[in-house]
Amino acid sequence: MITVQHLAKQFMPPRRWFRPAPDPVRAVVDVSFTAPDGHILGLLGPNGAGKTTSLRMLAGLIEPDAGRLAVDGVDVVARPREAMAKMGVLSDARGLYPRLTARENIVYYGLLQGMPRDTAEARATELARMLDLMPLLDRRTDGFSQGERMKTALARALVHDPANIVLDEPTNGLDVMATRALREALRHLSTPAGGGKCIVFSTHIMQEVERLCDSVTIVAHGRTVAAGTVASLLEATSQTDFEEAFVALAFNEAGSA
Amino acid sequence: MKRMWAVYRKEIVDALRDRRTLIVVLVSSVLLGPLVLIVMSGLLAQFETQAEKRVVVVSGIEHAPTLKNYFERQTYTVQAAPKDHEDLLRRSKLSEPVLVVPDGFEEALLHGDRPVLELVSDSGNRQAEVGAGRVRRLVEGFARERGALALALRGVAAEVLEPVEVIGRDLASQQSRASQLTAMLPFFVLMAVLYGALNAALDITAGERERGSLEPLLMTPAPRAAVVAGKWLAVASVSALIAVLSCLSFLPAQWLLRSDTLQALFQFGWIEAGLFIATLVPLACALSALLMALAIRCRTFKEAQAASSVLLMCVSMLPLVTVFNQEGEAPWHLWVPALAQHTVMSRMLKGEAVPFDMVAIPLGVCLVLSLLGVMSVARSLRAAAVH
Repeated sequence: MITVQHLAKQFMPPRRWFRPAPDPVRAVVDVSFTAPDGHILGLLGPNGAGKTTSLRMLAGLIEPDAGRLAVDGVDVVARPREAMAKMGVLSDARGLYPRLTARENIVYYGLLQGMPRDTAEARATELARMLDLMPLLDRRTDGFSQGERMKTALARALVHDPANIVLDEPTNGLDVMATRALREALRHLSTPAGGGKCIVFSTHIMQEVERLCDSVTIVAHGRTVAAGTVASLLEATSQTDFEEAFVALAFNEAGSA
Repeated sequence: MKRMWAVYRKEIVDALRDRRTLIVVLVSSVLLGPLVLIVMSGLLAQFETQAEKRVVVVSGIEHAPTLKNYFERQTYTVQAAPKDHEDLLRRSKLSEPVLVVPDGFEEALLHGDRPVLELVSDSGNRQAEVGAGRVRRLVEGFARERGALALALRGVAAEVLEPVEVIGRDLASQQSRASQLTAMLPFFVLMAVLYGALNAALDITAGERERGSLEPLLMTPAPRAAVVAGKWLAVASVSALIAVLSCLSFLPAQWLLRSDTLQALFQFGWIEAGLFIATLVPLACALSALLMALAIRCRTFKEAQAASSVLLMCVSMLPLVTVFNQEGEAPWHLWVPALAQHTVMSRMLKGEAVPFDMVAIPLGVCLVLSLLGVMSVARSLRAAAVH
């Protein structure tokens, strides 16, 4: 269960000498969403809408200026370590250690999560089986393809079997088959058999949302402009095409705001 | 604590798998010192055989039978100079200075006309320069003998000419004489420590940023202090390992020394190696922390290399202070890292005692620097991950 309420964050651009102080960049103005367990929530928005910044605040990397973030009821700002332990985050930056094998990469994160080594090893094998990584597991990640890297990074984020999963544009750079495999994996994780995880992912691709999400939150210009299921959003905008609905919601709302 | 060891273990494995960098560091910092030592010893051996040769190269010895007689009495062999000796000297092809005897030397000598002898050498030709001093002393001996004889004929005691006698007494112990030759040894091990730390420190900080693995790392609940401490210990270990290898590499190098004197004088045994390592390990810790603190602020490995070049230059230039500064050790030297270690190690090589404050001050400085560096890295880690 992830709750985000009225999140705001602005950045100060670096000051230049002998120039007036620049205006702050308001990356996130007012973002709210709630994702219950066993639910997949899509954070849909155009580039630069504040999705990545919001997710970084959720992961405890940036302190929000205002708003409340809670993971299973644990406040991220007040008790970040506890909150992080309840989350598996696949962030925008998904660098692996090229001189370590995929297994070592995954196990390292398990150890950082405080797992005993043999439990982490067993979990790495389990995740590799689920994500179809088995043949790559003991190879160094140096020559991995985009999809292979993404799978390894995902396994790394899930090593401690978190109840909440946060993914920032997970399908970036993946081909159709890899995207499909990822979608299958996420859907499985959200079912009771897969652990009934709460999954939040950001994307700018409509089809992802249409095919996978239980609910959608549309973010534009740092604000939540609409929320609901795909069907309810279509109904609200009286459109039949989700892309049209998205354009109407994201751009018209932002224009009037 | 457990997480710190996990980070440490991972970083050590990562650093040791970077074979290519490791080999370059090993070759450049571990093998270079001994190699230079061996070359030096070869050169020294050459000087020694030259001194033992007792040869003097003269052009026109036929004009000076008396001088030739004197040389031979001093058990020197007289060799005729080649015709193009000036050119050969200039090109360092001739390793002996040439004494040029003019026509009519013998007659001028008999008449007391102060004939002029020319000693031809080239100050760019090291070996000939060394020989020039020897030949000059030889000729001065000849002149003194002639003068003494002339005075004796007139019934004057030879002491009149030399009312004062000078006897040299060398205070330098055998070890301190050798240390003139081995002064570069501390310099080489300092470089080894520095370059050992460099790559690991940059890869662990700026490299991690560049790869995009720092952000996920900080999204784990591992405390930042544990992550930074583990990383720092790993860099310091790699650097200390290189330092140990570099110190130990001088031990086998001694067997290859070609100069007997140098071999007798160069005292670098297991004890010295141990003392060197004990001196260098705190420095390795401090340098690792400083390099990491510099590099974490850089976005890419390349940027970090540029930023750290200032530190690299300082550390490699500081020991030169002792070369330029003729006044010897100054108290402030102990407060400057690298310079302090250089001073202490030079003392050890000379076989001089190292008082307590010489151990304590550099150690304290290194501890403080390490702490500051690690704290600075921990503080800027999160900002570094995001931007």
